[in-house]
Amino acid sequence: MGASKGQRLSGMQKQVLSLYRGFLRAARSKPTEDRRQIESVVSAEFRRNSKQVDRKNFLYIEYLLRRGKKQLDQLKNPDTMGISSLNVSPSQNNKAKT
Amino acid sequence: MASLTGASLNFTSLSSSFQRTQVPLRGISNVNSVSFQSIRMRPGSLRFRVSCAAKPETVNKVCEIVRKQLALPEDSSVTGESKFAALGADSLDTVEIVMGLEEEFGISVEEESAQSITTVQDAADMIEKLIKSKDA
Repeated sequence: MGASKGQRLSGMQKQVLSLYRGFLRAARSKPTEDRRQIESVVSAEFRRNSKQVDRKNFLYIEYLLRRGKKQLDQLKNPDTMGISSLNVSPSQNNKAKT
Repeated sequence: MASLTGASLNFTSLSSSFQRTQVPLRGISNVNSVSFQSIRMRPGSLRFRVSCAAKPETVNKVCEIVRKQLALPEDSSVTGESKFAALGADSLDTVEIVMGLEEEFGISVEEESAQSITTVQDAADMIEKLIKSKDA
């Protein structure tokens, strides 16, 4: 049973998933409407990067992880109501293209 | 009462203690009636229970949440054996499913165990384990 589980996750993948979980957990502490918005932005961001970023581009993924952690810390602050800290994402869009 | 009996049976088969029926009953207050029923019912249900540790209600609830999370149609077949990956879930979806289950059942899944969940049955087993340890 355990052997057929397949899908071994690399350390980096685990870090990404753990960060994603962290964001979703942080979103729970916000009012419903903000929470929905945060969830949709976070989910879109992770999914977009999961498709666009080359999985071998470790340096860039590490950068994204670091940036994500910082944003998560900001989001955890009870004063952070909305997604303002996450609105940096479009600028990252440009970075990916250059 | 019925569900209590079910729970103790599951536990019995899980720990595969054929003789030591006392062991899994430690946490249950109504020891007499439960142990009596577990003795009576053991021969018939043990065989079935071995491969299916969690209660059917839990499994069904998990199936429902998985369906909702993955936006699968009402009539799609999601069973205990269903693998999240086979249902079209990627690792991000799996995180979302586990988070959804946490809220639904009021539990908190640790990082480590969250990553070992790949099927509906895994999830249901883990939920029951967590609920049990929460009540204990």
